[in-house]
Amino acid sequence: MDNDLSQDPTLVQEFLVESEELLQGMDQDMVSLESAPSDADLLNRIFRAIHTIKGTSGFLGFEPVVRLSHRAEDVLNSLRKGEIQLTQRMMDALLNVRDQLGWMLADIRAGGLKTYDIDALIAELELVQKPGESASARSAAPTAATLAVSTAASAPPVEEPASDHVAPHPTDSSPPGQQQPQAGDSGAQTMRVDVRKLDELINLIGELVLERNRLMRLASDLNLGRLSKEALDSAFSQSTARLSFITEELQAAGLRTRMVPIDAVFRKFPRLVRDVARSLQKEVELVVRGQDTEIDKTMVELIGDPLVHLVRNSLDHGLELPGARESAGKSRQGTIRLEARQEGDQIVISVADDGAGIDPQRVLRKAIEKGLVTAERGRILSSREILDFIFLPGFSTVEKATDLSGRGVGMDVVSSNLRRMNGTIELDSLPGKGTTVLLHLPLTLAIMPVLLVQVADEIYGLPLRSVLETTQVRSDEVHRMEGYEVLRLRGRTLPLLRLAQIFATQVRTGEDLEQKVVVLAIGDKRVALLVDHLVGQESTVIKPLGSYLHNCSSIAGATISGDGRVRLVLDPAGLLATAHGLSRQETIQ
Amino acid sequence: MEFQGTASGSVNSANLHHGGQGPRELLQLVSFHIGDEEFGLDILRVQEIIRIQDLTRVPNSPDFVDGVINLRGKVIPVIALRKRFGLEQLAHDKQTRIVVMEAKGTVVGFIVDSVSEVLRIPADTVEPPPRLGKVEREYVSGVGKLDNRLLILLDVDRLMSDSEELGSMMAS
Repeated sequence: MDNDLSQDPTLVQEFLVESEELLQGMDQDMVSLESAPSDADLLNRIFRAIHTIKGTSGFLGFEPVVRLSHRAEDVLNSLRKGEIQLTQRMMDALLNVRDQLGWMLADIRAGGLKTYDIDALIAELELVQKPGESASARSAAPTAATLAVSTAASAPPVEEPASDHVAPHPTDSSPPGQQQPQAGDSGAQTMRVDVRKLDELINLIGELVLERNRLMRLASDLNLGRLSKEALDSAFSQSTARLSFITEELQAAGLRTRMVPIDAVFRKFPRLVRDVARSLQKEVELVVRGQDTEIDKTMVELIGDPLVHLVRNSLDHGLELPGARESAGKSRQGTIRLEARQEGDQIVISVADDGAGIDPQRVLRKAIEKGLVTAERGRILSSREILDFIFLPGFSTVEKATDLSGRGVGMDVVSSNLRRMNGTIELDSLPGKGTTVLLHLPLTLAIMPVLLVQVADEIYGLPLRSVLETTQVRSDEVHRMEGYEVLRLRGRTLPLLRLAQIFATQVRTGEDLEQKVVVLAIGDKRVALLVDHLVGQESTVIKPLGSYLHNCSSIAGATISGDGRVRLVLDPAGLLATAHGLSRQETIQ
Repeated sequence: MEFQGTASGSVNSANLHHGGQGPRELLQLVSFHIGDEEFGLDILRVQEIIRIQDLTRVPNSPDFVDGVINLRGKVIPVIALRKRFGLEQLAHDKQTRIVVMEAKGTVVGFIVDSVSEVLRIPADTVEPPPRLGKVEREYVSGVGKLDNRLLILLDVDRLMSDSEELGSMMAS
């Protein structure tokens, strides 16, 4: 590292961002290349990526990166020219190169290159490049070849990626290569923004300046007494309307700059599925749809791990071995579908497999065994309700924990991660047909439309996303069932929660008055929430409550209202949990 | 001449007259009242002092957390020191202040009856805490003397970390 350029943080940062992007693209291209080995476009793209990395790292003086990418480039060049044929072994070697490069970049980001033992990997590359060798390697058992590569290339982190799956916690378990951005967050975080989005933002700022000018002129006219009351009224209300329009647009445009295609998350899955499927000896096709769906940058970081976990679950528990699939009358190859789409102000991501599905009775047995539910109560639960047990901490149906999953720390982590994002998770499964997991996420974490409700003299916000409808009830429409209050609404029975009771506010007098009810949807559960008044709707910016109050589960955060006071925003899921806690206490007493 | 002029204005030299050899270490404190007692807080730990404003109650929060306020767009919890010290609650009046403190990235406001002044007292006049009420003693780092006044020095870190622990304990 005698080159001074490698000390230039701007250059290095640019190099890292570019190279990481190239490597991620390579993952996808390489997995596609496996199924279409003669695709010249793919080969060229991979070649160019490696070539670019080699070029820039040479310029910056990152010697080991140059050495490794140079050898890989040679192999790719021979492939491109048709001198050699792509083999399984060659593919494994190239993927190992890609991983090794990823680790090197992560080290550069973390402070500087370490020493690497890449001789074995380079020797392997030289070996697979010889036409004769690759031909004979083709006939060798592919799994044996993989093992040879990973043990031979004994640079510290080089192992078959499957070994990382041992880590039970999803945050630890994505392949190290993909964790680069988080690994070195010492530097400033940067993101690429489409120029069109920035232009839009600048345009709106221009509008804002114009409106400011109008207001200033209005103010000076007013000072000089040149305005009649009527003229002022109309000019002022016009200006306010325009200002409010511009602000809303600006808010939306500002948020749009934070939106990135979900492809940034999806991109790592072809490689992940390939590696895991191979280590499990399963045949899997991954279908990815809706990569263009845009989600908030923060969400990209938060959703990655839960998705990795879900896809791995599908691979490990969902899909059967090829033999078992055949005897069940299915195709040998299983399918995992990863899809994203926007529905209103929500992003829906689904992970679906056509595997064995989940047997509700087995889940129920486990739940009873673990004391999560009594056998009597279990009999009256619907299969949908039974499947919800999967999201409880410590629940796992797999008798024997594999190195991939089944340690019972999976789904509850996924669901708690989702709650952090104000999202919900739904699981649907048909035994023998497969399992679908649906994740609902808010479009953005920053701005949330809320419904303002009042109890006693306190006003709270309810995320509009969770509000299904609002209605009025008379107190004689409220019934009691098994100690719980319920509300019958158009033939449907909903559990009724009284916000005043949960929050221990002063109870209003005049119980027989008509009261307002907000019907909330929490995942696939419906709950009626009784409040005193509906105040209105508002777009709010959610702020955290801080560490003192982080245990108040029914509160999602706070916002500042128009008069400068703090207004609390409720978390419907937490509210439900709190209410259950309360009623449980009551029954005990 | 010039030298004398600046020197007499500076704190250190004023101190020299009392201390004899070398400047004595000075503590700069913000003093405030709760009931009849006067307390002192290290000025470097105090972020700002604001007038009492409308608090928003947080349901199901620990008892001594009085609520949250909007501090220039940031939502911070406010703790009533009277409750913390096991004293009776008083209605807020014109003198009531919120002392905003920061420790380890957490910003918290403490409600006090009134804030009086900024004081400098020599560090060597501070004595270890005498026997006080049990609750108080835990947060007292010493007692400072200033003329005829007794100033109870509070340990900000204890006050804040204890509150935090209690907060998570009670809410769970």
